Amino acid sequence: MNDLLLTGLLMLIKLGMILAVLLTMAAYLVLAERKLLARMQRRYGPNRVGFGGMLQPLADLIKLLTKEDFLPAQADKWLFLLAPGLAAVTALLAFAVVPFAPPLELFGRQLPMVVCDLNVGILYFFGLSSLAVYGVALGGWASNSKYALLGALRAMGQMLSYELAMGLSIVPVILMARSFSLTEIVQAQASLPFALTNPLAFGIFFIAALAESKRTPFDLPEAENELVAGFHTEYSGMRFGLFFVGEYLNLVVLGAIITSLFLGGWHGPLLPPIIWFLGKVLAVAFVFIWIRGTLPRLRYDQLMAFGWKALLPLALVNLLATGGILLWLGGAS
Amino acid sequence: MASLLFYLLAATALLATLLCITRRSPVHAVIFLINAFFALALMFYLLGAPLIAAWEVIVYAGAIMVLFLFVIMTLELSPESQRPALSRRQWAPALLLFLLLLISAGLILTFDPAGQAGVPFFYASPRSFGAALFNRYGLAVEIVSFQLLFAAAGAYYLGRRRKARQPEESS
Amino acid sequence: MPLEALSISTAGAFGSELMPPAESLLSLGLYVAMAVGLIAFLLIACRLIGQKTHSKFKDQPYESGIDPTGPAQPGRPVPFYLVAIFFIVFDVEVVFISTWAVAYDLLGWSGFLQILFFIVILFLGLVYLWAEGALDWSPSRQRHSATKEGR
Repeated sequence: MNDLLLTGLLMLIKLGMILAVLLTMAAYLVLAERKLLARMQRRYGPNRVGFGGMLQPLADLIKLLTKEDFLPAQADKWLFLLAPGLAAVTALLAFAVVPFAPPLELFGRQLPMVVCDLNVGILYFFGLSSLAVYGVALGGWASNSKYALLGALRAMGQMLSYELAMGLSIVPVILMARSFSLTEIVQAQASLPFALTNPLAFGIFFIAALAESKRTPFDLPEAENELVAGFHTEYSGMRFGLFFVGEYLNLVVLGAIITSLFLGGWHGPLLPPIIWFLGKVLAVAFVFIWIRGTLPRLRYDQLMAFGWKALLPLALVNLLATGGILLWLGGAS
Repeated sequence: MASLLFYLLAATALLATLLCITRRSPVHAVIFLINAFFALALMFYLLGAPLIAAWEVIVYAGAIMVLFLFVIMTLELSPESQRPALSRRQWAPALLLFLLLLISAGLILTFDPAGQAGVPFFYASPRSFGAALFNRYGLAVEIVSFQLLFAAAGAYYLGRRRKARQPEESS
Repeated sequence: MPLEALSISTAGAFGSELMPPAESLLSLGLYVAMAVGLIAFLLIACRLIGQKTHSKFKDQPYESGIDPTGPAQPGRPVPFYLVAIFFIVFDVEVVFISTWAVAYDLLGWSGFLQILFFIVILFLGLVYLWAEGALDWSPSRQRHSATKEGR
């Protein structure tokens, strides 16, 4: 009985810490992005609240919570109120299959450093990223506003198109690891990360992830000079905040997925594994922010054409080539 | 525990489907249908088929329902369009299917009341599932590829024809 | 279904992957409950804390400061929904490809030939759509193909 209690307690502590770290990282990524973008544009960025702006996320949280919670007259009430939550929850849940360190020995038992090591882990992530469409689509539809609806339609078309390239660029990783489980994929990269053995798949996945997170140069669903704010035009207060935080949570989760699929997960010399993992995730997030500070937005037809005519065929050819080479090397009959 | 979960999920799926067909707003109906697919996916997982569960979510909830939503979202929400009058063409097939369901349930209950003839529990790990699919049903997979090809071409043909019939929009 | 049944593994010819232990599934369930609870708390809190004022003009949807004209929905499906249909087709393709990918070494070259055939067929579909202009979303290209049709 005591044993069971200890197991449950450890599990609860682990889950609580994961959620706390995820949300803190998302909140501070907002600050990091504002600071970095400001630096890239020769500005200072937020530097008033706390020590050089370090308490800005907290101030933002209080501000968003106390702002008016606006509900447009013709909106579909329940969907309008729930859609932002859906956007944030899908991002949070996607992290559940990402292993961030090897199992920990604690009180004579093994504590796996992952929420749940599903043997269909990648597909779980893939499924949740296809469900992420709904938060945006329903939010845009329920607002009953033209800008919001157009933004939602754009977001749906874009996310669908790039999900294909994303799914197909995962296939070489599955081939190399012979498993859907992210833990096994990370273990298969103990000597060499897959980004080096199959850089093309890495590139395709990275671009697709950029489009999937609706960030520059693929931020057409909320292109502010055409659609005001796209799908969240009518949102205010914490509901807008949840869409916003959901986006940054998505950034953290995509960074974590890219890290475990292509960058070798927690593997690395000298430093403890968890540091390597966090470092890699932050490095990916930094590149995302850097791209936002550098590249202009694409036109919508360019975006769709690139997804369907460049990434999709490339990913298909790449996976066939990878499969053929692996079979040839493995000497299968 | 597992059987309790099973009944809970089955009840959820039934309730969600019932709500789906009784909602007036098509978007709400789609959302309840997605819930039903979720419950079904979890049931597949409980029954030892994790791959099928994942595909259920990815293909049904993540792709087909998005198509439904895509079309429904752009429809106007006028009161008439929300209250379609049920014609016989709509309810007759539904009634027929319901009768069929009742008859098959009755047959199963009369011939096998204890539920003994069920398939023995077998956990299909992703690797064994993949191997079995391509070894045993390889031909079916190739037929599926042709079907998908026809589906893509046919859908484009139908969609394009509708576009051509409409007068060109003035901008 | 009894609980013991859940712990049966395949132990068949194709490796011996076990069902994940109940503990890790419990962990996932708890995580889902905690995440949903947290977000629900935020959603309810902002409903309670935030102020609410209404006025006729404020409640209108934003349309750049002009009175809204007509309903938000265009009223007929935009041709854009074709993207979703193509997506379903290729999504099912991804399903079959990744099912092959996870067991590719068990299937060997015969499995590779099967999936090669499968992919080539669907590649033909992609080429057809490409050639027909179904993958062009720019207005100029569409007008171009429309005039070609009219000729």
